Amino acid sequence: MAPPAPKYPADAIAPALRENAHAVLRAYDKTVVVKSASQLVETVHRVVTVLDEAGSDDYGQLMVDYSSLRHLNYMRGAVYDAQGQLLHQLRPAEIHDQGLGDAGGSFMLDLRMRYADLRQPTTPYTVEFDYEIVSENTLFYPDWQPQAAENLAIEGATLQVTTPTALPLRFEEQHLPAGAASAPVATTTQTTYRWQLPAAPAVEEEPLAPSLTEQQPAVHLAPATFVVQGHAGSLASWQSLGQWVYQLGQGRDALPPALTARMAQLLTTTPDPRERARKVYEFLQGSTRYVSVQLGLGGWQTAPATSVATGGYGDCKALSNYTCALLKAAGLPAYVALVGAGEDHPDVRANFPSSQFNHAILCLPLAAHGTVAADTVWLECTSQTEAFGYMGSFTGNRHALLLTSEGGRLVATPRYGAQANNQLRRTDLWLDASGGAKATVRTRRLGLAQDRYAQLLQEADPVAQKKYVANRLRLSQFTITSLRLAAAPTKTLPGVVETMGLELGSVGTVAGRRLLLTPNLLGRLGTLPAQVGPRQTPLALPTPGLYQDTVRLHVPTGFRVENLPPPTHLTTAYGVYSSACTTLPDGTLQYVRQLETRRPSGGAPLPAARYPEYQEFRRKVSQADNAQVVLVKTDA
Amino acid sequence: MVLKLRLAGSLAALSLLLPGHLLAQAPPAPVKAVKIKFGQPEPADFDAKSFVADSAAPGVVLYDYGSTRFRLKNTDFQLESDRVTRIKILKKAGYDLATIEIPLYHRGKDEEKLVGLRGFTYNEVGGKVEKVKLDIDKGFTEERTSNIRVRKFTLPNVREGAVIEYAYTVTSDFLFNFQDWTFQREVPTRWSEFQATIPEYFDYKMLMQGYEPLALQTSESQQAQYVMHTEGGFTESGQRVASGNETLTAQATNYHWAMQNVPALRDEPFMTTTRDYVARINFELAGTRMPGGGYHNVAGDWDKINSELQNSDEFGGQLGRVAFLDAALKSLAEQHADPAARAAAVRELVLKSVKYDGTNRYSASGPLKKSYELHRGTSADVNLLLIAALRQAGLPAQPVILSTRAHGRVNEAFPLLEQFNYVIGLLPMEGGKDLLLDATEPLLPCGVLPQRCLNQTGRLVGSKELAGRWVSLTPAQRHNHYQEIKLKLDEQGNLVGKVHEEHGGYSAASVREKLQQLGEKKYVTELANQHPSWELPAYTFSQVAELSQPLSFNYDVRQAASTGGTASELYVSPLVGFGQRHNPFQHAERTFPVDFGAANQDVIVLTLTLPPGYTAELPKAASISLPDQGGRYIYAASSPTPGTVQLMSRLTLDKPVYSAAEYASLREFYRLALAKQAEALVIKKL
Repeated sequence: MAPPAPKYPADAIAPALRENAHAVLRAYDKTVVVKSASQLVETVHRVVTVLDEAGSDDYGQLMVDYSSLRHLNYMRGAVYDAQGQLLHQLRPAEIHDQGLGDAGGSFMLDLRMRYADLRQPTTPYTVEFDYEIVSENTLFYPDWQPQAAENLAIEGATLQVTTPTALPLRFEEQHLPAGAASAPVATTTQTTYRWQLPAAPAVEEEPLAPSLTEQQPAVHLAPATFVVQGHAGSLASWQSLGQWVYQLGQGRDALPPALTARMAQLLTTTPDPRERARKVYEFLQGSTRYVSVQLGLGGWQTAPATSVATGGYGDCKALSNYTCALLKAAGLPAYVALVGAGEDHPDVRANFPSSQFNHAILCLPLAAHGTVAADTVWLECTSQTEAFGYMGSFTGNRHALLLTSEGGRLVATPRYGAQANNQLRRTDLWLDASGGAKATVRTRRLGLAQDRYAQLLQEADPVAQKKYVANRLRLSQFTITSLRLAAAPTKTLPGVVETMGLELGSVGTVAGRRLLLTPNLLGRLGTLPAQVGPRQTPLALPTPGLYQDTVRLHVPTGFRVENLPPPTHLTTAYGVYSSACTTLPDGTLQYVRQLETRRPSGGAPLPAARYPEYQEFRRKVSQADNAQVVLVKTDA
Repeated sequence: MVLKLRLAGSLAALSLLLPGHLLAQAPPAPVKAVKIKFGQPEPADFDAKSFVADSAAPGVVLYDYGSTRFRLKNTDFQLESDRVTRIKILKKAGYDLATIEIPLYHRGKDEEKLVGLRGFTYNEVGGKVEKVKLDIDKGFTEERTSNIRVRKFTLPNVREGAVIEYAYTVTSDFLFNFQDWTFQREVPTRWSEFQATIPEYFDYKMLMQGYEPLALQTSESQQAQYVMHTEGGFTESGQRVASGNETLTAQATNYHWAMQNVPALRDEPFMTTTRDYVARINFELAGTRMPGGGYHNVAGDWDKINSELQNSDEFGGQLGRVAFLDAALKSLAEQHADPAARAAAVRELVLKSVKYDGTNRYSASGPLKKSYELHRGTSADVNLLLIAALRQAGLPAQPVILSTRAHGRVNEAFPLLEQFNYVIGLLPMEGGKDLLLDATEPLLPCGVLPQRCLNQTGRLVGSKELAGRWVSLTPAQRHNHYQEIKLKLDEQGNLVGKVHEEHGGYSAASVREKLQQLGEKKYVTELANQHPSWELPAYTFSQVAELSQPLSFNYDVRQAASTGGTASELYVSPLVGFGQRHNPFQHAERTFPVDFGAANQDVIVLTLTLPPGYTAELPKAASISLPDQGGRYIYAASSPTPGTVQLMSRLTLDKPVYSAAEYASLREFYRLALAKQAEALVIKKL
């Protein structure tokens, strides 16, 4: 008997696709069949040739998650050697099944996964996986992004979606090459859409670039109308999506009468609406905590306010709904809002209404009264420590979907510019003749700059705080002799002050009779990762910030200043920098440095061609930051 | 039914083993056991004064009590364990203490079952204590794996200052899995107590570990009764047998241990695992003496473990002929007469045949043929195949079981298979040297163990005529890093030159691994990122695949002047970019030993050519030693020819493990070494 024809032999891969690639996607064919408004079937055929060991863990295995609304019909697999001869066919007994409840501290989570391992001891080898999912969670349609990772080349990929004519497909194409989409084919009952991607070499991430998921070709899918567990909705607009979520939560805001009365009492005791809202928020923070729940429809439907009132815990939806009810009882109508939370979460793709959110917050509009202008207060209801009205890097600087009785409305959450991302530091440094030093450092951080420190202050004990701070000090030798964190808010922003005592083993360099020292001890801007070859991807700059450092350098007796670094002033589109070192009348040296970083285009990425200019700015800042003071012994 | 009870005899058959430092202490002064009334917290639990000393902690375990006893379920013994826990929540950061997860194991018909769960939260509101009951219906059960079911519950109304308490009972059919008791947690514990009532039918070994003293330790003999229920039915000959209850009266020992004011446990860098240090008592079934039967030794001693492993299907049973490798091994044996070369060739064959899947086991997951066909297996599948293949190739390899670093240290005084999770091969070589063999890591040369195995000692499992013995796992290979640097200085203070780096031993292994993951370009980019003032115009790697050789890395470097010197003087610290950037020991205090796994050596030889017409002031030489031959740092500066300076820096750490008491000197040692490397040369115009 002749051996079976080889499948996907590794030597058939074009040389250009091997460059920088740990693996090559030989095929990635996704078929989506919309069965009804409440059910779709997703079938995936994925073939990957693993070229080297570094690609083995990512592509030699497959994990597929499922849950009560997402059933895994089957999962099949096979592995072939470099010549394309079958090595092994996956057997059902080799597929592991596991609950994911221990991932990320979820309390109630019905998410599970099946996992198959076809990794091989020698490369190259090729794995072929097939699986099918039946989803009753039609609020979400699957996405298609074949090349979402570094060091993966693709030979080609296809997407086919078939939907009943009565349930039109909505889609958004992202960075697709010309010719990727075919014209839809319609029969009397259904329409079929098709996309395909041609071969593409592996990509590599560059520093300060938008994430690959934002840069790589993709097709985002969404329904026009859907039904989840009997609840019908429409994604025609943000208005209709908001309507659906709003209605799921309707009638779930009743509070125990005693609590309603307690909130209503605030109307008389605290007439100022903002102050009243603050009291309600303090009550919430003092009496509840966050416990995550992700079960079926519970992913969107809030638990009743009464359950939070009795148990004192809930997830983001339940706590926001509960707070909304508390505020209502206190005469303050507010709205629950959905948001994509997380420091690195991209903003909503506003022209494609679909479920892009993972969190719920609260929005409280305050009407103008007296001399006080109208204002909007945003509340994070899952935190027991967050400052009243503060969103920070978790939910600020983006858009959220307001849920109102008239439906959803996309609105901006608070914006935090450079002034709201501020670090102000004062360092006193007492140098000794051998290059050692003692220092006291006081750092005040405001707004975004304090986010992690606020968390550290609230959630970590002193030993853990010290460890965190120590791990981030870019000094070669030191001992933290004292450390204290304290809340220090301004009228509008939360703040944290860190006071620290340091003993520095060798901060100055001894050079014969001289002592050399970089006065910018703690405030040096991190170096820009080296760029190899010309820049390929756009430049995404971090949020603007304002960083101020003053260092008083107490010169050891028996030394005088021989050389001071020259003052530096830089004004560019990327930031404004100044540093200067002067001798004060008492002989102390004072070093003052300020950097305000800017984003020339707001949040939008800059073209790759701007990169050398930005590099030059960073290089100059780095050079100035590392300038040294030269002290020399006076008793020559 | 006639039952004849034989008494276990001396209760000293149950041995409690204590680590040395605890034995050295005087027996604990008798402490009055703390008692609580469930459902009724103490007024002191709501008094801020009680928690002044705990101001740093997110919460305090006020009371943690466990007790395990035996009971009969029909005619089978079961374990029944009670748990009562009371916790004070001090800060919001401690709210997670109120969510409890209980993993319950089940296999076939045998299972662990949770019963009698109850709990309360107490809050002080306006001077009165408010009590809220745990609603059991709000719990959640997850089938985490096919053998583990997790019961979760979270207590209601948890606020700062709340006291929570919960209690439950777990019944278990797994007599081999007598649960450990951990006295210490990530938050301070006021009182932690464990009781075990063990009838004479069972012989458990107990092992105490950790750094905390016992406040209470007693054992007393008592009578215990067990009711045995037999089902009615018919015998084979058709005679009717009535169901019945029979009461067994047995001698039992009631053990009692407690610790008071146990501090929170924290992890530190360069350590194996906190499991090695947590205050805990472990149990292992050593034998049974059932009514009417003799003593049945189930764990016993090392010899017994040895023969048990030899006779096990998943261990000794796998070490026979590997027919499926016959042809390949035969030709390897013919090709390589030298045992070391043959061993390396056999290992190479196994490496290419079966991939290690990341799971650590000491016994095979099934027949080796199966993992061979799958091309994938656990550490045991891989290394038992290696041992079998070595034997078939005429090399008398023996298995050595060990515990990986993450799994914890092996206590030699405790013959417990549970202590192990890994197996390697040992091949005796001429001259009494042993070759330790592992085929899970393709990037390591033959005879070098993966870092995870560097955990002090392993146990050789002897064949029938050969006894088992302890084998040192301390490697001959070090973390070895050598740099030869030639730099030229110009009159502006810029440096240009060439660097030759060699990585040997474990240092080579980590560079090869990094190269495999990153590729050469990203590896060099990363190096450049650590040195903002460097440019690296050219580089080459060699001996990347020649695993028995050091990996070498050559590159050109240009470094812009960083120090503004005066016109006639230049200051350069040429070693700075090549030495360690930070003292690896940033924290002033240390509780646990520093465990590198292997010794370290870092050598830099740097030759600096001065600009014409310049001379250098040489820094002083230095030699710093760690106590007890623990290590040495040597620094020397010389001028081999006019116009050149040679700097030599050699740091050696000779021990793989340093005790916590040695930490301060280790940290100071690094401080002095780094300060010496940072010292600047003063370069003057003649």
